[in-house]
Amino acid sequence: MNILSLITFLPLAGALLVLGLPKESKRAVQIVALLSSGLTLVLSVGLYFLFDRHTSSMQFVERLPWIPSIGVQYFLGVDGLSYPLVLLTALMSFVSLVASLNIVNRVKEYFFWFLILEVGMLGVFVSLDLVLFYVFWEITLVPMYFLIGIWGGPKKEYAAIKFFLYTLTGSVFMLLGILAVYFKSDPHTFDLLVLLQAHPDWSARFQILIFLAFYLGFAVKVPAFPFHTWLPLAHVEAPTAVSVVLAAVLLKMGVYGIMRVSYGMLPLGFQWFLPFLVIIAVINIVYGALCAMAQTDMKKMVAYSSINHMGYCLLGIAGLTVTGFSGAMLQMINHGLITGMLFILVGVIYDRAHTRDINAFGGLAAKVPLYAGLMSLACFASLGLPGLAGFVSELLCFLGAFARWKVYTAISVIGILTTAAFFLRMIEKVFLGPLNPKWDKLTDLDAREVCALLPLVILTILLGIYPKPALDLMNATVLHMASLLK
Amino acid sequence: MQNLNLLTPEIALCLLGLGLMLADLLLSVRRARLLYHLAWFSCLVALGLVLYAPSWAGAIPGGGALWVVDHMSQFFKAVVLICAILALMLSLPYKPLPDAQAGTFSALLLFSTAGMMFLVSATDLLLVFVALELISLSSFVLAGFERRNRKSNEGAIKYFLFGAFSSAIMVYGISLYYAAMGTTHLTAVGPASPALALAMLFILLGFGFKAAMAPMHFWVPDAYEGAPTPVTTFLSVAPKIATMGVLARVFMVLVPASGMQMTVLLALLAMLTMTVGNTIAIYQDNVKRMLAYSSVAQAGYILIGIVSGNALGLEGVLLYSAVYVAMNVGAFAVVQAVGEHEGSYGLKSFDGLSRRCLPVALVMAVFLLSLAGIPPLAGFIGKFYLFASAIDAGRAAGSGSLIFYALALVGVLNSVVSVFYYMKIVYHMFFLPPRQKEGGAPALAVGPYIYGCLAVTLAAVLFFGLWPESLIAHVKFSAQHLP
Repeated sequence: MNILSLITFLPLAGALLVLGLPKESKRAVQIVALLSSGLTLVLSVGLYFLFDRHTSSMQFVERLPWIPSIGVQYFLGVDGLSYPLVLLTALMSFVSLVASLNIVNRVKEYFFWFLILEVGMLGVFVSLDLVLFYVFWEITLVPMYFLIGIWGGPKKEYAAIKFFLYTLTGSVFMLLGILAVYFKSDPHTFDLLVLLQAHPDWSARFQILIFLAFYLGFAVKVPAFPFHTWLPLAHVEAPTAVSVVLAAVLLKMGVYGIMRVSYGMLPLGFQWFLPFLVIIAVINIVYGALCAMAQTDMKKMVAYSSINHMGYCLLGIAGLTVTGFSGAMLQMINHGLITGMLFILVGVIYDRAHTRDINAFGGLAAKVPLYAGLMSLACFASLGLPGLAGFVSELLCFLGAFARWKVYTAISVIGILTTAAFFLRMIEKVFLGPLNPKWDKLTDLDAREVCALLPLVILTILLGIYPKPALDLMNATVLHMASLLK
Repeated sequence: MQNLNLLTPEIALCLLGLGLMLADLLLSVRRARLLYHLAWFSCLVALGLVLYAPSWAGAIPGGGALWVVDHMSQFFKAVVLICAILALMLSLPYKPLPDAQAGTFSALLLFSTAGMMFLVSATDLLLVFVALELISLSSFVLAGFERRNRKSNEGAIKYFLFGAFSSAIMVYGISLYYAAMGTTHLTAVGPASPALALAMLFILLGFGFKAAMAPMHFWVPDAYEGAPTPVTTFLSVAPKIATMGVLARVFMVLVPASGMQMTVLLALLAMLTMTVGNTIAIYQDNVKRMLAYSSVAQAGYILIGIVSGNALGLEGVLLYSAVYVAMNVGAFAVVQAVGEHEGSYGLKSFDGLSRRCLPVALVMAVFLLSLAGIPPLAGFIGKFYLFASAIDAGRAAGSGSLIFYALALVGVLNSVVSVFYYMKIVYHMFFLPPRQKEGGAPALAVGPYIYGCLAVTLAAVLFFGLWPESLIAHVKFSAQHLP
């Protein structure tokens, strides 16, 4: 059964179908896109019931030779680390497609690129061959470039090319790293599972060098300080739905890469880098939060808060404990859901008011109660209010890191405080106080927006109250990962 | 040891070329375009002769030791002939070419192709030189074929002057080689003497001119811009590939660069070529010139394989040559279609192409992304092989490994730089609205020949990108059994 291939390439089939449709039949394009992405979602959810939670080994493995002369395989599989991300990708892509139904300009091209993007994202998480991984990794760049550059904001062209070049620069170093481990391994292989076992023969110097090469590729995607400058720009200029997948899925590729490839394959390099990693995590947390605090543009604020939240992931990883790893993995999922929600909500207000300036609003809670309620929920989830999803994962990250890095973890708490401060300030300025008469005609959420938001809201509450189903998925893999460095 | 029968494809091609010139006299001007069909058919015949040559083991020398026919030479001959066929296909709908000279044009193209076929087989410097001259002399005329176009004249003159100059240098190098070795035959050499090193350097410069390597690239932008677009297409692929073929034979097999301590020099040349090509391309606003500089940079990538000097490198050179032909010819075909339609090759001609003709814009994007080395397109596989060869060579080199790693690093960073200007064309095609003319923006009309060309090259780029094994198996086979 080739279920993973099916999941990965269904959107591609959809994209090709969309390409074949005439430009005018917008409705058909939307239906095809939603159907193919929806089927992918259904299959990924279906996998939830087949997924074996008691093993850390790869499941649903598919293995075919692709370029046998250099040992490249078409090798797919998921475990507790990647499966939740596949689920997240499928969900967020579908939600974003629903959220993009209001795109009117060049509909056919939009959905085409979006579906291609989904293929790339899913492929990154399911591929277990480094070349295949790299191919999917790069595939995500091109559609993103078009999506930002055509449907984005005022500075879209600059944001698009900056995103492309930045990420490509990082990933070409990764390519060199991939080639280096290939030639180092004996017999030469790109098989990730084999390479994960190969490191005992590798010298510390080699591992450190290669770790840095891979890290450059991943850090740009995370984005880890100081490689984060593309992110606020790309987020602000990208159309709503693209910001959603960018934050919810693309950033996770970086953390996933660090956990999957760098940590397991190059343990000596990872250990060498650990002190730096934790410092970078703290900078991400504190600096990201402070930058967010300084913004008056809501979208930019959410973008910087993403940098802050990805810092929690890095902090959790740096703890090297079961708790820390679980926290980092859960934080990836939660951040995807919550920030996705925030971006959709910011997009909603921008569609209506054509501004995202926090100071331009006031007293909206009375005018658009549903919107205000959901926005507050998302903000509270994001700042880590107990009972909502963000709290659980942030707590786990801190707990996991505390044993090893007491001072750094303590400093990171500043980040939490700041996050609370800027989200609360935004809620206050936008929703409370007297109603700004300019927004008298503002309408509340419509059906499309509610449909897009509803699954995210439900999951955020559910994972906040009862995170066990998500943690169960990851548990076996996390235990295995934590045992590697004993 | 004459083995003249091995030259059947070349002989056939030359005879057919002469026949074309005669047929030109017999046919009326009205039906002169028929000659292009005859010309590509001639190439097809030659291709058939190359492909269906009787199978043999290893390499067979001919003409004493003037040339050798082996799997590698056959590979390059096939690729060059495919270039010629595609270029002739593109010439058919190209209007500025005078009908009256269709025979001369296609015959010259055939002679040039024959020169390249000799070149990739040559193992003696005399034959190398004669073959290079045959290519050059035909190309000079082809580049200046638009007689009424001053840019065409300018480009052709520059091309000619540079060509003459580099030929002179090369002859000087050959004479030094003869002085040092007592023969013009390329053989494995003993200890490197200063005279020999100088000789190889001059010979390398001669090759560098044809392959458009920096710092011998100054003729490229003007000649490419001025030449009729099908000729530009041809010049940007065929002579470059053929020269890479002979470079690979000379510096990897016959007179290994590593034995001459020339590795570092070649590596620096490769880095310079990539960097110069990519950096200057950023500043171009004429697409033909931009792709001209891009082709300079592409030569630099191929050089990586030659510098590496290992099996992977040789395979990389062959592999990249083949995919380079597909993506570059494809890109130029779109440029020709757009340029002819708009009457200008400026970047602005591409404004809003995605809305005037989405398929062509998408196809162009595929070619450009492939040139930039973005997976899963063929260009990526080629570059992957070349970078892999450099890393492999570095691993094997021990203390001298740094230059190989630096080469790989410069190579990948250059790919990033190249994305910037390739995406500039994409930016004009997809991000900008079409320029308003009276009666709205006209849809782009693309003729059947260009569509055919695009279909073939696109199929190759996608197929070799997604299923590279088919090509790699062929390349592996061709790269073995070298003399």
